[in-house]
Amino acid sequence: MAQKKRAGTLAAFIALLYYEFLWNIRKKKIITIFIIIFAIATVQLAFTPIADAIANPPQALQANSTFVFAGIEALTGIFLFLVGVATTMNTVSGEFESGTIVPLLTKPVSKTLVFAAKIVASVITLLAAYSFLVGYIAIGGTLIYGPQDNLNLVPLGILGLTIGSMVWASVALTLGTLSKNSVLAALGSFGFYIGLLIGGTLIAAQLGASTVLFYAPGMGATGTTAACAGLERGGGQTFSTGTDGLASMLMRWVLNPGQVLNFCGFQFRASGNPTTTLLASDTFANVAFRDLWVSLVYVAGLLLLSWFAFRRSQIVES
Amino acid sequence: MPEDRAIETHDLSKKYGDRLAVDRLNLTVASKQVHGFLGPNGAGKSTTIKMMVGLLRPTTGSLSILGQGVSGDNPRVRRKIGYMPELPRFPKHLSGEELLDVYGRMYGMSKTERQGRITELIKMVGLEGRGKDRIGKYSKGMQQRIGIAQALISDPELVILDEPSIGLDPVGMVEVRNMVKDIVKSGTTVFFSSHLLAEVQQVCDHVTVIHLGVMRYSGTLEDISSKVMARRRIVIELEKPVDGVLAALKTMKFATVEANMNTYTLHLDTREDVRAEVSRAVTSAGGVIVKMQEEGGGLEDAFLSLVGKEGMA
Repeated sequence: MAQKKRAGTLAAFIALLYYEFLWNIRKKKIITIFIIIFAIATVQLAFTPIADAIANPPQALQANSTFVFAGIEALTGIFLFLVGVATTMNTVSGEFESGTIVPLLTKPVSKTLVFAAKIVASVITLLAAYSFLVGYIAIGGTLIYGPQDNLNLVPLGILGLTIGSMVWASVALTLGTLSKNSVLAALGSFGFYIGLLIGGTLIAAQLGASTVLFYAPGMGATGTTAACAGLERGGGQTFSTGTDGLASMLMRWVLNPGQVLNFCGFQFRASGNPTTTLLASDTFANVAFRDLWVSLVYVAGLLLLSWFAFRRSQIVES
Repeated sequence: MPEDRAIETHDLSKKYGDRLAVDRLNLTVASKQVHGFLGPNGAGKSTTIKMMVGLLRPTTGSLSILGQGVSGDNPRVRRKIGYMPELPRFPKHLSGEELLDVYGRMYGMSKTERQGRITELIKMVGLEGRGKDRIGKYSKGMQQRIGIAQALISDPELVILDEPSIGLDPVGMVEVRNMVKDIVKSGTTVFFSSHLLAEVQQVCDHVTVIHLGVMRYSGTLEDISSKVMARRRIVIELEKPVDGVLAALKTMKFATVEANMNTYTLHLDTREDVRAEVSRAVTSAGGVIVKMQEEGGGLEDAFLSLVGKEGMA
């Protein structure tokens, strides 16, 4: 009996996934996301060769064995936000807006199953989109810039991009479920993104890479491989360690787990440049691990809230 | 709950804020019955139906569908129900056949089962040759038809149709009515809401009348006229006004009289045939009857007396 019930639930779940993909493909949502991603990757790949070709005098294209690695690290911020929000902004609210939620919820599928299928479809869409993007950059980068280093880390980059984008996707999904309005979901998510960006910038300007930023979604605290005291003189590499930088952090975790990242604060003086002081330092392994669970906590928390709102929702209008 | 009851509600109520949309509804629908749920717009019909299919939670009270209590999100109950919403809206980017296929999958139907059922239903609802077209290209009538088809995809024990012919032209309404009659032939219980009296009269054998959230009548269509005190009228037209006719009519204990020039209307408080007695009284007073006609007492009057004239709007 229990086995039959499980089989029935699985069949219903697969049916819902089929419904979801049919919806996304026919409404050209997935195609649009892929076209945007294809365009961005093409610009990334073609920028240097074109710049070299139109330079006066024209430059010979240099081999670059870190193009793919750096290319994945560059995929952050507004890009992750846009892909995430585009994936889920109308996943639930679109059903309410179009009225299709009524026949759907009167079929023998629980609301939890409907919601789970929507989440799984979104994750698969993001995973496919980033696999396509990174695969395209990896193949294109190898063909244009020669053999690439650390291609074995590409799957980790895809995972990081997917989870990082899922944070924003969860924000849009939650706002969409609460408001039942896709435009409000998109605008609200953008407001949230801008608010975090401004808030994060103000905190960073006043306090430096404060530990508060370790736990905020988005760009998070900026870490550097250089010593804080020497920061004003330059040197070292800087990294965003927030949820948007998860792909980079995960790849660095494997590449240089013991390398130390310093988080610096500023001291403003009456005259002259501000001096920098060390606020915290940690290895890539620890920073990446923290980044991963912070991202997952945001995704889980927001999806839980969204699921709760969806389960409680009633269809007054039809 | 006895097995022969498809739907049973106990003091079912639903409040939207301060407004009571359904007020302590006690409804029983027997299996294999075609039960009309009649009431004017805003009576609480759709709210009641939405509680039955799990789209709304009752504020108080309980309801059972096919012997199972409906509380919260209950897919097991919905497995046995086919539901067509009022003005159904389906994903426009799917074709009619794709819609039926994806909903069939949700019921756990095999590919063979789905294919056979889809062909059968597309034929039944008259969408042959249009099943592969996108729903976005369907007319309103075609959307109603696919709405009926999707409600029947799993061959349910109970079909709930919420205003199935709303927004249709007269031809479409007749077609929908015929489809409902076809469903009934298969022995399925049909619960059918409408604000159109004629529609219910032609399709249903039992009816529940609801107005302002309160149940006003539930029983057979045959009984509604006799159980509900709907007043009959006798309208008499005389050749010319005659003094004394009004006074003669007013002596009759079973009626109240209204006069307008040479026309007299008697509102009867009796179920007896009193036309001969009235005729004698008029003739004795010197009146010459040109026309005498009995009006009212039918389903429409019964409905009017239950919901008031504003309900017929």
